[in-house]
Amino acid sequence: MARIAEGHSGEKSGSTLGRVGRYMLVRALTLGISVVIAVYITILIANMGGHVDQIKIGMIDEGIAAWVAADEELLALPRAEREEVIAKTREIRIAALGLDIPFPIRSVRYLTDAMSLDLGHSTTLMSDKGSRFVREILLERLPHTLLLFGTTSLLMFFVALFGALFLSRRYGSKLDQAVIALAPTSAAPAWFYGIFLILIFAAVLRLLPFGGFVAAPPPPTMWEYALSVLRHMVLPVSAMVIGGIFVSIYNWRTFFLIHSSEDYVEMAKAKGLSSGAIERQHILRPTLPPIITSFALMLIGMWMGAIVLETIFGWPGLGSLLWRAMRLFETAVVVGAVVIYAYLLVVTLFLLDIVYAVVDPRVKVGAEGRTS
Amino acid sequence: MMKGDTLIGIENLRLYFRTARGPLQAVDGVSLEIGRKPAMVIVGESGCGKTSLARAILRLLPRNVHTYTGQVHLNGVDLMQFGDERFRREVRWTKFALVSQAAMNSLNPVIKVGDQVAEPLLTHGLVGGKGEAAERARSACEMVGLPVDFLNRYAFELSGGMRQRVAIATALVANPALVVLDEPTSALDVLTQANIMNLLKEVKQKFRMRFVLITHDIATSSELADEAVVMYAGQVVERCDAGRFYRHPLHPYSQRLMASVPTLREDKELGFIPGQPPSLINPPPGCRFAERCPSRFGRCQEEPPFKKVEADHWVKCWLHG
Repeated sequence: MARIAEGHSGEKSGSTLGRVGRYMLVRALTLGISVVIAVYITILIANMGGHVDQIKIGMIDEGIAAWVAADEELLALPRAEREEVIAKTREIRIAALGLDIPFPIRSVRYLTDAMSLDLGHSTTLMSDKGSRFVREILLERLPHTLLLFGTTSLLMFFVALFGALFLSRRYGSKLDQAVIALAPTSAAPAWFYGIFLILIFAAVLRLLPFGGFVAAPPPPTMWEYALSVLRHMVLPVSAMVIGGIFVSIYNWRTFFLIHSSEDYVEMAKAKGLSSGAIERQHILRPTLPPIITSFALMLIGMWMGAIVLETIFGWPGLGSLLWRAMRLFETAVVVGAVVIYAYLLVVTLFLLDIVYAVVDPRVKVGAEGRTS
Repeated sequence: MMKGDTLIGIENLRLYFRTARGPLQAVDGVSLEIGRKPAMVIVGESGCGKTSLARAILRLLPRNVHTYTGQVHLNGVDLMQFGDERFRREVRWTKFALVSQAAMNSLNPVIKVGDQVAEPLLTHGLVGGKGEAAERARSACEMVGLPVDFLNRYAFELSGGMRQRVAIATALVANPALVVLDEPTSALDVLTQANIMNLLKEVKQKFRMRFVLITHDIATSSELADEAVVMYAGQVVERCDAGRFYRHPLHPYSQRLMASVPTLREDKELGFIPGQPPSLINPPPGCRFAERCPSRFGRCQEEPPFKKVEADHWVKCWLHG
């Protein structure tokens, strides 16, 4: 006994703090490096490795050709002089977009700008208020996406979690079998169900709007405005719930079934705990780390929104913005969205590490077990 | 509270499991009386239904139960008549406690050990509050030789032997009538096994509760046993006083079992039992050991009765029928 007591004396508490601190520092560094790499890759891809420059130069040439054809004053000039004016204008326009600097050098400048959240401005896209600052364009769209996907995700998460707990208690019942049978419906994406929902509830039954964020013109009072937004949310939210709920419940149910056959769950039953207490203390609590992980990742996931779903429902969120930006070669907008996303992901992962240490005592002490 | 007169009567207990090939008769018509002596040992090879019997008594059933019938009397009250909720409130842990087979995993990894020891007290409202529960948990831990500061630790910080002590402390904390020890030492190294067996002997002397020790380790079981029960293929084949059992078992299976155990003081040739136990799905009619029995004869085609041959000695064998 003395030997064991010795091994467990308190001298470890100081070094534990140090180890956790060191661990956190290393985590922060590696996460930071991965953000830089991810953003740089995005910049390369969004610029097609520099090919977008050629496209933009082509667009400038096109613009100049149209200008030359329409400007009679210019046509009147002698040929050599005219050529000079055209070449000069072309140079000025290229320099205005910064295309005279070689792409590799510019890509590094893009990277530092993006990392410092100086997201620049767009060439053609504008926010509804008329701003060309990428930050403002993104911030304007963001709340819409958060509202739609936040509502859906929270709904899905809690319905799936408690539905799964319920089913794991009724393993093998008719309801359980029905959910398992319906799980493959999630193979089709949410927008697929969205099309049918629009068809049924908007086109045929005329109960709900086809799409959009709010009725046009927007209702005057706050209360009516909220109600109108809610009506517009019903179909996209339902589409996503139908497209994902069954497989989520199936997933969690299997997860809980595995964990409810742990020996300590059996002991809890033998101890005479009520089934509610067993679920809270002995099934949910030990499984909290993976549950929190999936919850956090889901919260980030809803950021981007589903590009196709937002487009189908005409929802003015980040997803449909991204779709438009990609088609217009709005590199700054695409990169800006990805940068914010990357930062959010990293911060969440870092927070998760801390939360893990709080909910799971095994993380606090570190990997080396202290069995005597 | 006087626990000396605790008597648990099991009559014709059956526990069959559903399998793809038909019901598996894990416990087939077991009748026993537990509590006449402080400690009863149930021995038998793996798969003979020892653990299933414990589960049937404690009503810790898996999902694939096919049949669960019979009677479990506690001081004359048939517990099988209780609904699940009543059984939970009135019997679980306050009457029947368990030290499980895999004590290594029987502790929740994210709850402090002390809270888990005190858990039954709070669940069943046996104490006034958390302070009193912690106090009781502390004294239970002192009883099993667990340093009190271990109560503030988590299971992963404890060694296997210490975890097993925690499991025993948890079983004792609510002062139950019966503690079922299901292979409490089989996951431990030999030295720790010896420590735990010594602890159990000590506990047995200090407390008036009844113990059922389930094990396949016959040598170790003799340390604790007052009464011995031998199970074979889901049935009880012999039951007798421990002193007599370890020296003169009557059932051919028990005899062979004893012959396979090495002894300290005499030099003997260790025996073994040829063949393997019958499948518990559609077991053969008649005596289930007949196929492997050296002394089988014609009558073994019929099922032998579980018959009292002497005072405190029952055998299920035609040789003694």
